[in-house]
Amino acid sequence: MSLRDQFPILQREVNGYPLVYLDNAATTQKPQVVLDAMNRYYSQSNANVHRAVHTLAGEATEGYESCRSKLKQRFNADKVIITSGTTEAINLVAHAWGRANLEKGDAVVLTEMEHHSDIVPWQMLAEERGVELRYVPVTQHFTLDMDAFHHALEGAKLVCVVHTSNVLGVRNPLEEIIAASHATGAKVLVDAAQGVPHSTVDFATFGADFMAFSAHKMCGPTGIGALLVQPEAFEEMQPFMGGGDMIEIVTIEGSTYQTNEHKFEAGTPRIAEAIGWSAALDWMDSFDLDAEHERLVDIARWVADEFREMGMTVYGRHGPDDAAVVSFLHPTINSEDMAHLLDARGFAVRTGHHCAQPLLNRLGITGTVRASFYVYNTREEAEGLVKELKEITEKFA
Amino acid sequence: MTFYPEQLRELVEEFQEVEDKRERLEMLFELAEEIMELPADEWSEQTRVRGCQSEAHVRVSIDDGLVHVFGAADAKLVQGLMGVLSIAIDGLTPAQAVLIPADFAQDMGLTNTLTPSRSNGFRNMYDKVMNEIRQQSE
Repeated sequence: MSLRDQFPILQREVNGYPLVYLDNAATTQKPQVVLDAMNRYYSQSNANVHRAVHTLAGEATEGYESCRSKLKQRFNADKVIITSGTTEAINLVAHAWGRANLEKGDAVVLTEMEHHSDIVPWQMLAEERGVELRYVPVTQHFTLDMDAFHHALEGAKLVCVVHTSNVLGVRNPLEEIIAASHATGAKVLVDAAQGVPHSTVDFATFGADFMAFSAHKMCGPTGIGALLVQPEAFEEMQPFMGGGDMIEIVTIEGSTYQTNEHKFEAGTPRIAEAIGWSAALDWMDSFDLDAEHERLVDIARWVADEFREMGMTVYGRHGPDDAAVVSFLHPTINSEDMAHLLDARGFAVRTGHHCAQPLLNRLGITGTVRASFYVYNTREEAEGLVKELKEITEKFA
Repeated sequence: MTFYPEQLRELVEEFQEVEDKRERLEMLFELAEEIMELPADEWSEQTRVRGCQSEAHVRVSIDDGLVHVFGAADAKLVQGLMGVLSIAIDGLTPAQAVLIPADFAQDMGLTNTLTPSRSNGFRNMYDKVMNEIRQQSE
């Protein structure tokens, strides 16, 4: 069975046309093995984890923890905290590490390229604690202003940077950012939601102190993600949410906490989702991700070139390490209209500010149309998109 | 209690007869001209439809007890739906106008109108128009 045939949703039609799903930077589709794993858990092994001794509880615990083990193995990470996704992972750093280690006058470096989920938690902390936020601008070439970054680094305690922009597809110079930050004593949080689905990262040698990402952008379920933490930073984190599973002993006088990742996973976790993600991680090992990424970036580059020839403005870059994302605007056709016209022919694309309003402000626009490609997309689909855009332009421009 | 004016019912039926969504969009884009234009120099924070992906502005006026809607939007889809809303409610009394349900855009096979969200320009516009009619007629 081909890779594409393993995704049942790709067989459906939308508005009478075959679905061409190009909103992968928002979320990816799920292969049958992921759907089966989640269904099997609910129909055969549903139980709570880490508590009871009965067989179902053992199976559920094994399934949940297998997700963590696979993440540790895939990313060569010592500490993997399971979260609800990238957003919760970043908020966890703000609450569990930020509150324990940042005080009035300390500086946090952010970039204008960040997703709202890597801006708002820091704004909230800044408001609460009087922490200073410094933003690294984005240049007209869609890259970070690295001179400004090095300048902003002076005396900073934490650097928060997006691995790959969800709007531009640009992969940031993370190695330089991490090395420079560590040289000045700052810790680094990488928002890898758009990076990890396209490339594997050896977290131990990569060097970031925290790395956040979501399952649903790599063919896993929604509602689950992870925060990878280096051991030293892990020791500097204080529990954030209190409740079951994160404690060691509770008395009327007080509580002691677990010392492992469970300390940050209070309450019943996302068991079915972890089992689904575990299946997705296995599935991701069934093909050559690097080769797929190369193929997809080639497709995106070709689409971007075609769009430019048609007079559209393309925002972003398509180098070998960048993501297969094409953000564009037509000179006269409104982006929302464009998305509806494409939807009428089965094409699913995203419009709007992509939760990155500071970046769009810098670019002087309020939104783009975004086509983002993933492993099941084909060259024929990209050709269909270009053909459709030509028809729309001829008729509606 | 809802009120579905005859001219709106006819429009909805006309759209329902067209199977192809793109053709329905083309029909809707032509209805963008039906709304009385709110010139750009009258756009303000008071007229802005918040949460809309595109720039969209509406103003309601009630003259001699009858509702009139003025509007404009970057997206032809949103302005077209303003046109439909205008055809439906222009000249009605406020009491009649607020009974028109948001369902018509969905019935026309154009957009989900039931869930207010940042991607739902029509719903935000509809809610703003209805709120203004209620406020002005209090």
